[in-house]
Amino acid sequence: MFNFFKKKEDAKIIIASPVKGKAISLSEVNDPTFSECMLGKGAAVIPSEGNIYAPADGEISLLFDTLHAVSLTTTEGVEILVHVGLDTVALKGQGFTSHVATGDKVKKGDLLLTADLEAIKAAGYETVTPVVICNTDDYADVEAINLSEVNPGDDVIRITIKK
Amino acid sequence: MKKFTYQVKDQMGIHARPAGMLINEAKKYKSVITIDTGAKKAELTRLMAVMALGVKCGQTVTVTVEGEDEDKALSEIKSFFEANL
Repeated sequence: MFNFFKKKEDAKIIIASPVKGKAISLSEVNDPTFSECMLGKGAAVIPSEGNIYAPADGEISLLFDTLHAVSLTTTEGVEILVHVGLDTVALKGQGFTSHVATGDKVKKGDLLLTADLEAIKAAGYETVTPVVICNTDDYADVEAINLSEVNPGDDVIRITIKK
Repeated sequence: MKKFTYQVKDQMGIHARPAGMLINEAKKYKSVITIDTGAKKAELTRLMAVMALGVKCGQTVTVTVEGEDEDKALSEIKSFFEANL
């Protein structure tokens, strides 16, 4: 009966997994840049397929020249970085194909990049893909949810908006 | 207001990791810190904006610091650039 008096729930924004695989906590990523949330809070996915899809509706803020990472600003203003693999900047684009360009408008589920996971692993890099909210400070909270096997489009990050 | 220019020596330019380090450094100060490539400008506390500048190796950037702790911020940010970029 006390639920009757409960305040209205805080507004949330949900961000989807960009890739098929196993979602894990950022703290499990073997790179302090991500595990210590230097770039922001979020989640990571150990990909089982190389197709990387838009995690929300928005605009491509930046497709890195090296194609290993893409950032997107959602229609709500959430700044998301999808970073495919660790230290993969050093591959200089090898093993990556892009399907979008900086400035493109995208819908959740649009194909952004294709990564050749086997080639990345063969070159000696981890393929774990952090999904980071770059403007974490703009929100009351950013949490990883649904840490399990995920498909592209499944919810993985829940953002609570500041009052 | 104080400023310095710096030519980036990191082979990869200012990609995700160095941008993250830079933002965390810039957030320590009260001053407003901006980075200007000549073509584009960004506040040094906005990760996405800094990454979107796409600063490459060999490119020269101008960093402007304005605020009550600008002397300290300028010297420490400058050292940070020299040590990391």
